[in-house]
Amino acid sequence: MQLSDPVQLAVPGFIALIIIEMIAVSRGARGAYDWRDSAASLSMGFGNSVTAIIFGTTIVAIAQALWQHRLFDIPVAWWSLALAFIGEDFFYYWFHRSAHRVRWFWASHIIHHSSQHYNLSTALRQTWTGFISLSFAFRLPLFLIGFPVKLVLFCAGLNLIYQFWIHTEVVRRLPWGLEYILNTASHHRVHHGTNPRYLDRNYGGVFIIFDRWFGTFEPERGDEPARYGIIKNLATFNPFWTAIHEWVGIARDVATATNWHARWMFLFGPPGWSPDGSRDTADVIRATWEAEQQQPVA
Amino acid sequence: MAYLSFANADWKMLFAVFVIPAFGVITLIMLARALGFTTTAKFIAPADATREARNALLGFHPVETALSLDGGAALVRAEDGRIALVRPHGDRWVVRVVHHAKVRRIGTALDVQLAEAMFPPVRIELGAAASRWAAQLEKAA
Repeated sequence: MQLSDPVQLAVPGFIALIIIEMIAVSRGARGAYDWRDSAASLSMGFGNSVTAIIFGTTIVAIAQALWQHRLFDIPVAWWSLALAFIGEDFFYYWFHRSAHRVRWFWASHIIHHSSQHYNLSTALRQTWTGFISLSFAFRLPLFLIGFPVKLVLFCAGLNLIYQFWIHTEVVRRLPWGLEYILNTASHHRVHHGTNPRYLDRNYGGVFIIFDRWFGTFEPERGDEPARYGIIKNLATFNPFWTAIHEWVGIARDVATATNWHARWMFLFGPPGWSPDGSRDTADVIRATWEAEQQQPVA
Repeated sequence: MAYLSFANADWKMLFAVFVIPAFGVITLIMLARALGFTTTAKFIAPADATREARNALLGFHPVETALSLDGGAALVRAEDGRIALVRPHGDRWVVRVVHHAKVRRIGTALDVQLAEAMFPPVRIELGAAASRWAAQLEKAA
């Protein structure tokens, strides 16, 4: 079986679909574009592909080294492709969950959430610092199990391609029960929402069933549209600042921390943690919101 | 995800990785402009700014809002004394609690510069209310 890089092959399709969505939105379809926001997103996507090439060789070398110590000899075949695809998505779920719950990983992933828009160009707003945050480490167990490196990377590419189309407001809900199994545009709008109800929910890549199993699923509500972005939205479209701003924040916090516990928490605690509680984590925001909901209306 | 590298790069690969995406990015940006996705956010009514501040800040209960006369920014005071600055970011808004800010009064306008990297200074034309808001901002900062 011949496996090439599916993402590179998909790029013309990405561009064509963004053009179609832009024209549809300009003619009244649900959604919004801002050229400055899209320029930032697309620049981030371009930079991501450059960093992927720079660090790709190292990641492949690490994967190959681990594969030498594999538990099983798994050939490249249709059945192993299906298993690798599901396995890759399972580990993606845990990567993505960690990327929202651990500031070190969030510093890299926040880039993808830093747009206040939700359209197909947002899908391409990708990190430049994934290698530093070690996001690739989450799929290393697949190599130890014995899945060939090229098979896992092929599945990771398919996963990324699948997630492109769900970044849209044009598509509302899928028919035939697909919303129960798959991560869809509706589920992923929730994931990009900063509404307290939607914070840190729906981490799935292709399948939403992992969220249902592990208690992180939240359905989209018709009476509560998602407010996209991050808790402290950026005030600049500068792609370089977008790429590094959370890393700068970590460095400042660690430099001014007064003890090792605080340093550890600034690095590996939840985003928004602070020693004096002056900032808010997602859990605090949700708890405060829930408490406010339970108060009787005056 | 990529398993290409500069070591085994050829012109075909570089074309696929750099030239097509770069051409695509430029085309899409030009198309977005041509289709009119160029608006800058403006407030019509104080209630819009109040809602933005309430949604963006946890436990922020607005009691007073002042819009810039051109609708291009706003100050929102909460019942606990905090003041939020709401400024446009493209066709959306960005909200911050004013803290350690430099506030300069120029006639009936206020220049507010937050102590935050990459947060541009904001000029808010408040008319007769400028001096009162300047005093409140100094207190909050």
